[in-house]
Amino acid sequence: MQWLVRGLGLLGIALLIWRVATVGLAENYPLSFWMSQAINGLVLGGVYALVALGYTLVYGILLMINFAHGEVMMIGAFTGVFALQFFTALGWMSGPTTMVILALLLIAAAGMLGSIVTGVTLERVAYRPLRGAPRLVPLISAIGASLFLQYSVLLVFGVSPRTYTKPPLLEGGFRLGDVFVPYTGVIIFGASLLLMLALYLIVQRTKLGKAMRAVAEDKGTAALMGIDVDRVIVFTFILSAALAGAAGVMLGFHNTVVKFNSGFIPGIKAFTAAVLGGIGNIPGAMVGALLLGLIEAIGPSALGIPTEYKDIIAFSVLVIVLIFRPSGLLGEVVSEKKA
Amino acid sequence: MRLRSLQRGSRIGAIAFAILTYLILIGLPTRLGAPAMSVLALLAALIFWLALRGGKSKQAFANRAPAPLFLTGTTAGFVAGLLTALLTAGFAQLLMSGVNVQPYLDKIVPMNMAALYGVMPGALVAGEAPAWGWLWQMAFVTLAGVGGALLVLIERALRQRTWSVGGATRWLAILLPFILLGFVIWLGNPAVTLGGNAKGTLRLLMAMAAIGSGLFALRAARPGREQRVLALLLFVGLACLPFTLDQFQNSVMGIVFIFVMMGLGLNIVVGFAGLLDLGYVAFFAIGAYVYAFLSAPFASPAFSSLLTSLGIPAAAPLTSFWLAIPITMVAAGVGGVLLGIPVLRLRGDYLAIVTLGFGEIIRLFMLNLSDLTNGPRGMLNIAPPYLFGYSFGNPRDIFILALLGAGVIAFTAHRLDGSRLGRAWIAMREDEDVAQATGVNLVRTKLLAFAIGALFAGLAGQLYAARQMNIFPDNFTLFVSVDTLSLVIVGGMGSIPGVVLGALALKGLPEVLRGVDEYRIVAFAALLVIMMIVRPEGILPSTRRRRELHSGNEPGAEVAPEPIRIGALTQEGGKA
Amino acid sequence: MALLEAKAVTKIFGGLVAVGGVDLTVEERTIASLIGPNGAGKTTLFNCLTGLYRPEEGDILFDGASLVGLRSDQIVALGMARTYQNIRLFGSMTAIENVLVGQHVRLRSTPLGAIFQSPGTRREEQRAEQYARELLAFVGLAGKGDMVARNLPYGDQRLLEVARALGSRPRLLLLDEPAAGMNPRETDAMMALIHRLRDELGITILLIEHDMKVVMSISDRVSVLDYGKKIAEGRPAEVRSDPRVIEAYLGASVLAGHND
Repeated sequence: MQWLVRGLGLLGIALLIWRVATVGLAENYPLSFWMSQAINGLVLGGVYALVALGYTLVYGILLMINFAHGEVMMIGAFTGVFALQFFTALGWMSGPTTMVILALLLIAAAGMLGSIVTGVTLERVAYRPLRGAPRLVPLISAIGASLFLQYSVLLVFGVSPRTYTKPPLLEGGFRLGDVFVPYTGVIIFGASLLLMLALYLIVQRTKLGKAMRAVAEDKGTAALMGIDVDRVIVFTFILSAALAGAAGVMLGFHNTVVKFNSGFIPGIKAFTAAVLGGIGNIPGAMVGALLLGLIEAIGPSALGIPTEYKDIIAFSVLVIVLIFRPSGLLGEVVSEKKA
Repeated sequence: MRLRSLQRGSRIGAIAFAILTYLILIGLPTRLGAPAMSVLALLAALIFWLALRGGKSKQAFANRAPAPLFLTGTTAGFVAGLLTALLTAGFAQLLMSGVNVQPYLDKIVPMNMAALYGVMPGALVAGEAPAWGWLWQMAFVTLAGVGGALLVLIERALRQRTWSVGGATRWLAILLPFILLGFVIWLGNPAVTLGGNAKGTLRLLMAMAAIGSGLFALRAARPGREQRVLALLLFVGLACLPFTLDQFQNSVMGIVFIFVMMGLGLNIVVGFAGLLDLGYVAFFAIGAYVYAFLSAPFASPAFSSLLTSLGIPAAAPLTSFWLAIPITMVAAGVGGVLLGIPVLRLRGDYLAIVTLGFGEIIRLFMLNLSDLTNGPRGMLNIAPPYLFGYSFGNPRDIFILALLGAGVIAFTAHRLDGSRLGRAWIAMREDEDVAQATGVNLVRTKLLAFAIGALFAGLAGQLYAARQMNIFPDNFTLFVSVDTLSLVIVGGMGSIPGVVLGALALKGLPEVLRGVDEYRIVAFAALLVIMMIVRPEGILPSTRRRRELHSGNEPGAEVAPEPIRIGALTQEGGKA
Repeated sequence: MALLEAKAVTKIFGGLVAVGGVDLTVEERTIASLIGPNGAGKTTLFNCLTGLYRPEEGDILFDGASLVGLRSDQIVALGMARTYQNIRLFGSMTAIENVLVGQHVRLRSTPLGAIFQSPGTRREEQRAEQYARELLAFVGLAGKGDMVARNLPYGDQRLLEVARALGSRPRLLLLDEPAAGMNPRETDAMMALIHRLRDELGITILLIEHDMKVVMSISDRVSVLDYGKKIAEGRPAEVRSDPRVIEAYLGASVLAGHND
């Protein structure tokens, strides 16, 4: 069977290359076009990276896919938009630059807080009681939690989208040669990098980070070494949710609107990114996300298909990666567990 | 001891408050109208009852002495009541001082707060809320706490009379379905006015209850002759149903049993073989669309031009419903094999995600390949089944067909369960590597599971298309897969009666409770989470499944310590 | 010709050579043992023999045919079965069902046959169940066929694993620490069973064992592994007094003061 799958895979790659060559490149888009697409992709990728890191952190420590992570992000986005409305009502958003910046930081913090509360509750209610159960059980619970959060938000806050009005400060951009680079793009990308760096430092340099890595490696032994496993898991969820909350706010500004189901598709895409890079692997999540962002931005034009298909691209990447290289790009090829 | 009761009470009270707040926020009181506070208090009493009765272990339950129990209950009620009162009071203050909550919350919340007081929303804003309204709330909820404690004591008293499953209870269980069926038939008489406007809903509910209790009756009956006779009688009773229910009720039952067909098929993939398929809807869609192509080829632009060029007259179905059956099943089966081949090496969560991806990809293709499938505009005017020239497409006939279909699938699944293939599936589900090392050909076994499961989904899809007569890509979303999986899991995985029960509960009940439609999904989602925590094996699991999920709780199980080899090159196996 | 011939089998994990160039020959109708300190690579070698791992180098011949690259179920079909160091039964299935799965590779009934209960299928199933009960009785589990595997006492679970392996009518049976965790009475019963497997059923046995009493008393031939290499081989008495073996187990400093 292996050769059949491999053969089909090679055929698929050949088809893709042929398609790009004949259609995408044939259009003769100027370089600036590709560059602006690429920049778009990197910005998106940065946001995906934050969410993907959340998936990867939780998977690394609990060996489960937190299906409801997209909703954690969405709730952060909602909290952020309320904070934005609050500050707008106070008049901060139209004030001097320092006020606007302060407001933005507080909005991001609010978003992160909303996500953290959601994430911690999620862990406590839907995941902790199911720690030892066979794989299927926490998965179903996660699906249930995801639906629950989505439709609760719908019931409480209604179906109309909330708008993230960009303050004048964030409008516009600058020119890099022929390419237009929006300010929001730069800020988002920069902020993402900063947060990723912060995460890296926490995981690698702090005591709690070391405990996280220990628990991810071997829960039982970590407990024997005196590590409070429950606390570490909660901390992991806090980190994961904080990143998602920040991502939610950023995505909110980028897309201008949030709805109750704004978490679903980005959640799946971020998950794809995490898998692409190698789930459980932190640098992998970042690389995978940037790559996916680029593919998504450049893909439709390169393949000559309408932009509505970009969701199919994400799904297809997911399916392809899981079939041909389930350990992801940076993941180790773990030899299967045997007797 | 007293302090501990107070602490525990406060904790329970806080959690109850959170739940009550949630219910208020999602709009429940407005739905309930006038008796909002009483209903909420009742709900609170139930919450307190569940919280106070303690864990599953019988020891803890039996040891709760009444006095501390009441203390805990009262404390819990008081705390919850106090917090709720503070919340609504605070909120009322906000509204009365003119703060606009509109941007943040939906309209519903102020209305809810008002309903809790028993006043109109306008009155709240105008500052006319009665001052002692808050005291009423506190009193109600505190009483609910006491009530919860009472319920615990009542439950304990009931439990102490040992209800054995033998004797009277058994006969009651066996007779119940027939009693309910009798009611349904009796209520069908137009002269009977019991229930008034809600009579139709009542009949439907009782019909479902009849079927559900029939399943429990089968469990209660003694295996062998008794069980077989009962099964025959139940079957006869079931066959009466389509002829006694009206159009709407038959329509609902039809969709319920189409989902039973789906559930039974998915049960083979997930329940027997342990392959977590979240994209099951793909085969349902294939079945539906293939039948659509065959019976309404001109709905598809591509087929339309093809057939016209071949000289085939417009609007003619290519084959009859019955002849289309093997075609759709084969098409779906092939789809199952095609899905199965790439995912052979995947396990657990990864398998779930990839199959989910496939399901979505199929739907997106149906949506976007407009030339072939007419895209979002859907395939219209699909022909219903014809039998000897008579249209067999009204809801009653669809229900009958669905019953037959479910019966065939159940029969097949049952036969497979005890067979060589069935054992291979179970072994593979328990421990894939060891199964292979014991001689099971994993590739063949997995592909058979996917293919057979897909076959049945295709059949269900065809029937669905015939029922709907118009199908759209939106009919085949991820939700369908989740729904099907949920009814398998909630009903009881690996168990055929469980799947039927799951379909009744998760597909049938929402139709009956049409009034509270918007809560359907949150209730469903909450149910999933709660079921996983409390009873992951489902309501009516197969005995094997219950063994798997509650290992170690069996009386008499000897737990042997594993030999500890320090430094041995042991490769750990078993569940991850 | 030997029934099993492993030639220069090498298995490497990352940088670790778990098994390095091991030769092993097992003659038909003999009981051979594989011993060595913990971590010597014995279970890894077993896994190579049964197809769970693919060796980097070397070849494995079963009755003259090469096994390398075959799937484990294909190897079972050829006539090699095994048991496990940590018991790996199908816990939620009954004892009978476990043995029936063991017979899977020898049964021929198809899904269609099962659905329609064709006479051939029914006959085969009846015979299979009969044979399963016989196997259970053979290993000493008569009457416990309908007990759920997980609920059986430890010793019985080990016996059930043997019965399950016997279901495929193997010519060679690999036993991975069959007496682990057993008390002396159970160990004796296991030893007697192993003898009967060879004497009554004509099955060749290769076993990994740490219990020296078992090894010395039932083996026709003993091979010793240490750090992935074979360091000694021969009859039990020869191996036991081989200085390299003693050193591997007890360390060089004890060599001087070794007493039998």
